[in-house]
Amino acid sequence: MRETAMEVDREDGRSQNQLRPLACSRNILHRAHGSASWSQGDTKVLAAVYGPKAGTKKNENPEKACIEVIWKPKTGQIGKPEKEYEMILKRTLESVCILTVNPNTTTSIIVQVVNDDGALLPSAINAACMALVDAGIPMKHLAVAICCCVAKSGYVILDPTKLEEQKMKAFAYLVFPNSVHSVLPEGSLRVEGEPIENGIITSVTHGIMSVDDYFYCLERGRAASVKLSDFLRRNLQQQSTDSSKAG
Amino acid sequence: MDARLANTWRLTLNEKNFIKTALLSEIRIDGRKPFEFRNISINFGREDGSAEVQLGQTRVMGIVTAKFVQPYRDRPNEGTLTIYPEFSPMADPSFEAGRSGESAFELGQIIDRGLRESRAVDTESLCIVAGKLVWAIRIDILILDNGGNLVDAANIAALAALMTFRTPECSLGGEDGQEVIIHPPEMRDPLPLILHHLPIAITFGFFIDENVVVIDPIHNEEAVMAGRMIATVNANGDICAIQKAGEGVSQRVIMQCLQLAITKAADITKQIKAAVEAYNSERALQKIKRETTCVGNSVKGDQNQTLDNKGISELVGKYMERLKLISVESYASKILMLRKSNH
Repeated sequence: MRETAMEVDREDGRSQNQLRPLACSRNILHRAHGSASWSQGDTKVLAAVYGPKAGTKKNENPEKACIEVIWKPKTGQIGKPEKEYEMILKRTLESVCILTVNPNTTTSIIVQVVNDDGALLPSAINAACMALVDAGIPMKHLAVAICCCVAKSGYVILDPTKLEEQKMKAFAYLVFPNSVHSVLPEGSLRVEGEPIENGIITSVTHGIMSVDDYFYCLERGRAASVKLSDFLRRNLQQQSTDSSKAG
Repeated sequence: MDARLANTWRLTLNEKNFIKTALLSEIRIDGRKPFEFRNISINFGREDGSAEVQLGQTRVMGIVTAKFVQPYRDRPNEGTLTIYPEFSPMADPSFEAGRSGESAFELGQIIDRGLRESRAVDTESLCIVAGKLVWAIRIDILILDNGGNLVDAANIAALAALMTFRTPECSLGGEDGQEVIIHPPEMRDPLPLILHHLPIAITFGFFIDENVVVIDPIHNEEAVMAGRMIATVNANGDICAIQKAGEGVSQRVIMQCLQLAITKAADITKQIKAAVEAYNSERALQKIKRETTCVGNSVKGDQNQTLDNKGISELVGKYMERLKLISVESYASKILMLRKSNH
């Protein structure tokens, strides 16, 4: 039985399900075709998009567009964790972008870590999506990412800081499609009878957690992704009413 | 091969001719006068030693970190300073991921000469145990947006980051006086680096006509210019380094440029110092908030630390945890190594 009313003592005073303050800005770089900066609390990530560029890499299918991700850590050499992040980002974004529109092209996404204070990969995924929107790359929907942690005593917290992540028994990075506001009739956007936003695009877990814990994380994550979707929608709509980039 | 050629950015002949013709009438395509610098804005990050500089459209980030190393054998009581420039592919479509090209190497060399060889950073104060343990300062320069004149912006970023970087205070102690104790920031204030002077790099662009010289070229002008000179000077009028490439230029023009560089360097030094002052006073305010909560009960401190009645020892524990997160090699293991090497 899940103790939903349990008081959890988090260092910065947040409740279990409270996210850190979000900040996002688009079009911050001048040479890149699209760019965005995303920060959740102290974690800050910068993403830039160049593309579509002609040609695909050797092992990629030329009948589809190809996505290339370059992850740049704050300091130090590029090692295995960075390569893993690149692969996860690439697979996530490949399922979000419409790859058949521009075949035989490569879109490069470069992610730069400005500060890492927990939930780094979800921030990077959110930043990359915003940068893709800024560049005008065709996408089916946005990907909204969140991090959920499971503590030893069984409670689940959202959006941990780096210290919290270290202390937790397990954590999961979850990526959901964003919530849909549509003019089409209710039933037409459902996939197998469920609304699109109940789907899950990517899930990466670290540590041991029980199956029940995992499903509870999914549920909490999904609820938080609705809030994140609203934030994204407000942010994108506001910036699109500003003067256009023409000229 | 074709794909790569198709993706490189190139100026058209018309644009090139336009830039050159306009410069003959002392008009620059972004509206500046030939000897006018772009606006510089310096922002600092959350941690000490991280600065982001915006010079017009150029955006560069400088990050300073430090770790323990053994000193070089021929310099046993000096710390080391290394510069790692990184031309991120996000800055320019022609920058490739992986190994940076020769311009990245050149940038690193110019900044290195300005900082290290001119003795701007005091390396002797970085020594902890002569011959055994010194601080190795690492400056990472990340180019985020290439709007032209990367060297100047990167230099300012490196200086701003160095001026706000703090090393934890270390002292010798223990039974045999050979153990190095690192004091957490709550116990003793971390120390700033000692900088004797601030070497500022100023870039000049020369064009085919000898009389046409511009300062702080943007990337369009860089594609057209015939020669380039980077003068690293400080506000005292000392020349720390000069790098000149491209077409030959008369001595008279060079001397004029150097005079101008010293004037501009004075302005830029003032700007950097003002930005660092503002950051330091804000940091001191935050520290005061943190220290008063030490005495009180369960008052929220600044962002990441809420203090409760459990006392100082918990604070130290939390700091040691954070130390382990900040540096790749934990300090604790280095102390153990030092102890082992002394037995």
